[in-house]
This record gives sequence, structure tokens and C-alpha cells, in this order.
Amino acid sequence: MTSWNVVATQESRDLWIGGRGPVLIFGYSILLSAITYLAATNRAMNFLEQREAVNLMVQVALAVGVLLTVAISADTISGERERGTLEALLLTPAPRRAIVIGKLAAAATIWLACLIVAIPYLWVLGRGVSGAGQAAVLTLVVGTLVAVGLGGLGMIFSAWSNSNRTSLASGLLLLLVLFAPTQLPALPKTGFGQLLTRINPIGSALHYISQVLVARRSWTQDLDYLISPLVIAVAAVGALLIAAPRLVRLTAGTR
Amino acid sequence: MATIEASGLCKRYGARNALDGLTFTADAGEVIGLLGPNGAGKTTAIRLLTTILEPTGGTFTVAGFPGDQPHQIRQRIGVLPESAGYPARQSGAEYLRYAARLFGQSRRDAQAAAERLLADVGLSERAGARISTYSRGMKQRLGIARALVNEPAVVFLDEPTLGLDPAGQSEILATIADVARRRGATVVLSTHTLTEVERVCDSLLILDRGKLRAAGPIAEIVGGAGSLSTAFLHLTGQDSHD
Repeated sequence: MTSWNVVATQESRDLWIGGRGPVLIFGYSILLSAITYLAATNRAMNFLEQREAVNLMVQVALAVGVLLTVAISADTISGERERGTLEALLLTPAPRRAIVIGKLAAAATIWLACLIVAIPYLWVLGRGVSGAGQAAVLTLVVGTLVAVGLGGLGMIFSAWSNSNRTSLASGLLLLLVLFAPTQLPALPKTGFGQLLTRINPIGSALHYISQVLVARRSWTQDLDYLISPLVIAVAAVGALLIAAPRLVRLTAGTR
Repeated sequence: MATIEASGLCKRYGARNALDGLTFTADAGEVIGLLGPNGAGKTTAIRLLTTILEPTGGTFTVAGFPGDQPHQIRQRIGVLPESAGYPARQSGAEYLRYAARLFGQSRRDAQAAAERLLADVGLSERAGARISTYSRGMKQRLGIARALVNEPAVVFLDEPTLGLDPAGQSEILATIADVARRRGATVVLSTHTLTEVERVCDSLLILDRGKLRAAGPIAEIVGGAGSLSTAFLHLTGQDSHD
């Protein structure tokens, strides 16, 4: 077993056995239950078309899943600094790259848990339109890109900061900045509005998903909307791999 | 054979010299005390020799490997850091197994190492209990067990008895003496406490404001001063404060 795998296994155990993972997922499942109830009720009153209800569920699952991934990853290094446990980890021969990749993989397990929890809700809302399976696969592919990319950025904030609060606040601020434009009701569909959507990894991911689920376009028709989620995932993981020896230090910023 | 060789080791933070020209050697099986007042540079010296910090000057070798091979050095050293934190939700056994796995041991070997070390430091009965339920002394013993998980050639212990009662201090010192005697490891013991040094150390480094004030066997350093306490106060300039 390689070092990153050892780190990922232990970090996942710490997250899921007696850690914050089960509590966060419990809160998340309550949120999905409430949304499913409201969406199903609205559908009965013809306020929300069935595919739109599935799309709404995917968007909530993606947004909250990414939020939880960023919150966990923002704690990975600065949190260990605060708790005084980072030095012992740095004193092992585990390469710094293995440490960051192991920690990112463990943080990503919360995203996978969010996806698994969302599947029954997608099935309930998508019954009869055969949209649940497609929505789940779509969420897995697109959501994983966004979760890994933004989780990686959360980890970079964590490495740059000696304070857990600072890294968490930075990660949440980034999410807010990226998520807010997706909720604007009258964003222009051409020119500057479309550019904003395309460069925003959350905005473009949500747009792509809605094009497939609601507008019933094929998976390949709007693939260019996946460029920014792909770029952010590759850039964040690449930056972590390249800069790991400089990022993972006892104190942020000193050599 | 020298297991630690430091020559002109320096660490600067801006204009401040945290460590200035530390030069010494230590042999296998030797317990060497690192003594000095607060801010003397003891923790900085340990962090440089354990490759956690990069020196701004000087060279060193640890366990036969030069300072520019940190990966090789970390394979051969064990460290109890100053004010080490412990993952509250892990058990003592889980903590040691994880450390052993990070040193490349198989699951089976890691399990065996954890059981053996917990027995060595008297924590077998609490092996499955969460670390958050351990007393400070138990945590320190667990930290020493972790420092020995890879059977190191050199062990660095940064103030291992800090905050312990006399019985706890005595247990830790007995463990330290045992590490050097039975395992043949070099032990670098950083401390404030002169009686600890007199009890377990073969030789001594006295640091003050980043500079090495004295190095050598304890008897040599005490010299005509009469006691280690008097010699220490004189060397660190604290006797003139009275």
C-alpha cells in the first residue's frame, strides 16, 4: 500500500468513524427530504415539471456536496496545525505529495456520500421519466470534477493559513462568489452573461446538467460547458502535486 | 561512530538569529542533553536536525545521511515534538498502527509494533481507549512509543516531561535511559530541568539566545563551578541578574 493510500484510509476513518462525516450527511439528508417533499407537492399541483424537479434535486445535491467537500478540505492542513498533529505527520517519510493527495481523496469521500444519499431522492422524483439513472451518472461525472477542483482549492487555502477559521472562511467565500451568479434570475444568455456562466465552474456545471436533464439535449451537445470544471479540477490537483513540498509545512509561509 | 554531526548550523528569521553556528557530534547509545532557557534555540535545533525546518547556514548529518536527504533521515529518526498534539478520536493502538504504516510497515507488522510498544510504555490496558481519555503522562508515553515505531537510530525528545508530576517524570526518564541502553539509539533530550540532565544524560549542550555556550561531558562542564546549576547560570549569564 502506498503512502497516499495509507493517509487516505486513516483520514477517511477519522472523518467517518466518530468524526463529522455522519452528522453532516444526516443534516444533508434532512435537507434533501424537505426539498423532495416540496418538489413532489408542487409537481402534484403542476407547478414543477417532473424533469425540472429532478434537475432541482441534482443542483441542490451538487451545491451542498461541494460545500461540504470544501469545508472538510479547508480543515485538512490548517486544522492539523491548530491541533498540533501536523508535525508528527511531517516527521514520517511519507512524501508531501502523498499527504496532500491522501487528504484530498479522504475529503472527496464526503462528496461521494452526498451522491449516494441523493440517489433514492432522484429515483422518487424521476419515476416514470427514466431520468433518475441519467441524473445520478451526470451528477457523478460533473459533480466529481467540481468537488475535486474546489476541494483542491480549499486545501490550498488550508495550506496557506495557520488558522482553521481563515481557511474555512476563504473556502466558503469562494463558493459564495461562484454560486451567487447562478441564482441571478435575469443573467443574459449571450455575451457577458454567457462568459460569466462559462468561466464559473459551478455555473457552467449546473447549466450543462440542466441542458441534459430538462432541455433533453444529448451529453455531447454542450460539452464545452465542462471546460471550466475540468480546468479547475486539473489546475487544483496539479498545483497541489507540484507545490506540495512548499505547501505542506509546519507553519504557513516559513521555511 | 557519530550518529549526529552538526557544523555551523544556523537558522535566521529575518534579522533574528534563532540558532547561530551550532557545532557538535553525538555517538550511538549516547544520551545528549540540550539545555537552555526559553528562546535559547533548543526546539529550532531539533527541528533543523529532524528536517522540519531548512537551515540558513551550516551542514549536518543524522544517522549517516546528510541534511539534503530529508527522506532518508526521517526513515531513521524518531521524534517527540514539543507540545505534540494527538488525534483525540483515535485509540492509542490505532495511532501507533497509523504511524507504523506511514513508515512503510505492512498491516501485520504495524499491528505487532503497536502492541509491543504499548506494552513497553505500559499502555497495553488502554490500547483501545480513545487518546482524549488519556492523562498527560499517558499521552507523553504514547508519544515516546510513536517515536520508537520505526526502531530509529536517533531519537529526539523535546521537553518530554513538561507538565508531568514527579512520578510521571521518573517513568519517562527511565524509558529514555532504556531506549539508549537496550536499543543503542542516540537520544537527544531537550529540557529545562537540570536534575533530568544529571540523571540520564552522558553529555550536554548548553544553548543561550541561539549560541552554543558549552558542549561536552557533564563533569567537564561543571568543572570548578561546584554544581551543574551554578555552571548553567554562569554560562547563560543569569547569575548576574541577582
